[in-house]
Amino acid sequence: MAQTSRLMNLPDYPAEIQADPRDLPYTEEAYLRMYSAMTLARTFEEKLGSLYRQGKIFGAVYLGMGQEATSVGCISLLEKQDLFSTVARNLSAWFYRGEKPERVLARWFGKDQSPSNGRELGLFLADLDDIGIFPYHNGSMASWIPAGAGFALTMKLRKLRNIVLCFTGDGATSPGDFYEGLNLAAIHKLPLVIICEVNQFAYSTPIELQMPVKDVAERASAFNIYSETAFGNDLFTVIDAARRGIEHARSGKGPALIEFKTFRQRGHGEHDDMGYVSPELRDFWEKRDPIAMYRRWLIERAGIKAGMLTRIDEVAVRQIEEAVRYAESLPYPLAESVTDRLFAPSPHDVKDSDRENIYEPIEHPAVPSLTARQDRSGGGHF
Amino acid sequence: MSQLTYLQAISDALRFEMRRDPGVLLLGEDIGTFGGAFKITQGFLEEFGPERVIDTPIAESGFVGAACAAATAGFRPVVEFQFIDFIACAFDQIVNYAAKCHYRWGIQMPVVFRGPTGGGIHAGPYHSQNPEAWFAHTPGLKVVLPSTARDAKGLLLASIRDNNPIVFLENKFLYRHYREDVPEGDHAVPIGLAALRTIGADLSIISYGAAVHLCVEVARLLEAEGASAEVVDLRSLVPLDRKTVLDSVKKTARALVVHEANMTAGFGAEIVALIAQEAFDYLDAPVMRVASLDVPVPFSPPLEQAMLPSVDKILEAARRVLEY
Repeated sequence: MAQTSRLMNLPDYPAEIQADPRDLPYTEEAYLRMYSAMTLARTFEEKLGSLYRQGKIFGAVYLGMGQEATSVGCISLLEKQDLFSTVARNLSAWFYRGEKPERVLARWFGKDQSPSNGRELGLFLADLDDIGIFPYHNGSMASWIPAGAGFALTMKLRKLRNIVLCFTGDGATSPGDFYEGLNLAAIHKLPLVIICEVNQFAYSTPIELQMPVKDVAERASAFNIYSETAFGNDLFTVIDAARRGIEHARSGKGPALIEFKTFRQRGHGEHDDMGYVSPELRDFWEKRDPIAMYRRWLIERAGIKAGMLTRIDEVAVRQIEEAVRYAESLPYPLAESVTDRLFAPSPHDVKDSDRENIYEPIEHPAVPSLTARQDRSGGGHF
Repeated sequence: MSQLTYLQAISDALRFEMRRDPGVLLLGEDIGTFGGAFKITQGFLEEFGPERVIDTPIAESGFVGAACAAATAGFRPVVEFQFIDFIACAFDQIVNYAAKCHYRWGIQMPVVFRGPTGGGIHAGPYHSQNPEAWFAHTPGLKVVLPSTARDAKGLLLASIRDNNPIVFLENKFLYRHYREDVPEGDHAVPIGLAALRTIGADLSIISYGAAVHLCVEVARLLEAEGASAEVVDLRSLVPLDRKTVLDSVKKTARALVVHEANMTAGFGAEIVALIAQEAFDYLDAPVMRVASLDVPVPFSPPLEQAMLPSVDKILEAARRVLEY
């Protein structure tokens, strides 16, 4: 069956950031914080890919290059007590919120680094206290939409002004959990914002084979919720659209579904050579690399000195080199700790003294045909 | 003490703990206005309000995922499955989210998944199943199955207070067919401790859930034949009280394992393996199992009866073990 290129359905998004810096409220420090997080993630992932190819990383690696603007743009709008979940493609969001590259790399190395202590890939993180990433089921990208609704429910029950923001992708709008989670959130007007990064492929499967609608935002009408579609590689377009969604949710009007068109520059994982991506699609997105667009704009429009950005680039390289040394120096978790912390201690765990009398007879067993009639006084099924 | 049905004991536990701990939330289908399909939460909406007694859309994966999340955020959600058969719709969230959260992150998830299991009431293939083995096989979940009204209350209180995800499997035949004295007020039963329902010297009958009642009746009939059977009620499969099982088998030298779930890859196989490994030298006879036949639970009474364990089937197997 012939497949039409998704390129034909993409608007001709400009390859330059459109915002006028005079309209923006940001200080130089704020601009550079966003640039640093994006650059640090890009540098980290380039190194991670190279370590993988050298056989120094166990298993597989998954990179998010090309999606740094959606990650940082959305996350820059969160307040301290807001929570979020990320995909494999949102490392820059972690860095923006303060996660340290050496800690992430140590987890990739399988070292004894909290909070996973060798039990989970470096790809995933849950950290409610410092970073604000809630624990969720990372196995399927729709599965954290119900969890996001659950956290949003707790915020509503506690009468907090906080929101929950879940990154997900176009492929994740197919499973039922996407609907079940958003449905619940919409019914109760929960402060949940779904950021759907439409990066053109779910592993290798193109959008045409994932969904019968052109835009993910069209799916929002099923829940009667706020939605938008915007270009995901222009940092300030991202911030603009995400802000409207977040304000909608924060003001108690219920969930929002914000869709960003973007592109996964690498394969699903580094084992994937992306043979299924057409040259014209690669070319279209290569001209729209979000970090390059932002860098140009900072220099040409926002008056940031190129030297300052180059220094940030250099600091990122040094930080990643330091992260490799740190990760290598950490010990592996002890093999004998493998069964630790399966269960949390609980107040009614069995104590030795509980064993003193375990004889508790059943005087009149309930046996079909021997037992008296049911007590139906309370009504109900069967 | 007050005389309560097994079902009333569950209501009592939920009501007691909701009054004691404002973090306890209930989620499920038709549990609010309607009071639940079995009326376990009758009157709860009026007492605790719609923020704590949440009628959910028919979307088990959605509300289970949400409940799991709320549990890590400091609440203690109790999810009702209208029939436990529908837990299959939430399987992914339970085995991949709930079961792994503490191991992956050290973050506690105190959530209870409860609902009615079991056949014998002519409810057919989708309202009669016993899914305990699905969950006992998944590391990170506790699996609790009360067989008495006292335990239904005591184990449910302990489950709500437990800091881990718990699959709490009630039996709907027992709901209104079993009534006994249940302690009033606080009454928590430790999770992971088996109970002896009869004490005997000649045969250990190891069981759990509603099948315990059949085993107690069998012990009574065996007594008339001059044999004394010890009925061990596991009360939870995870954690498993290995000590009580092995102590009993080492004393009696003969064992029969009984459950209502179907035979193949059922939890009984795990008990038999435990005995084979740890008490082989003590055995005077092969360990036998009685369980449901390996078919879906059929609707028509003669078929359902043929499929399920019964007093007669257990008695016959007990005699074979005793006569070996």
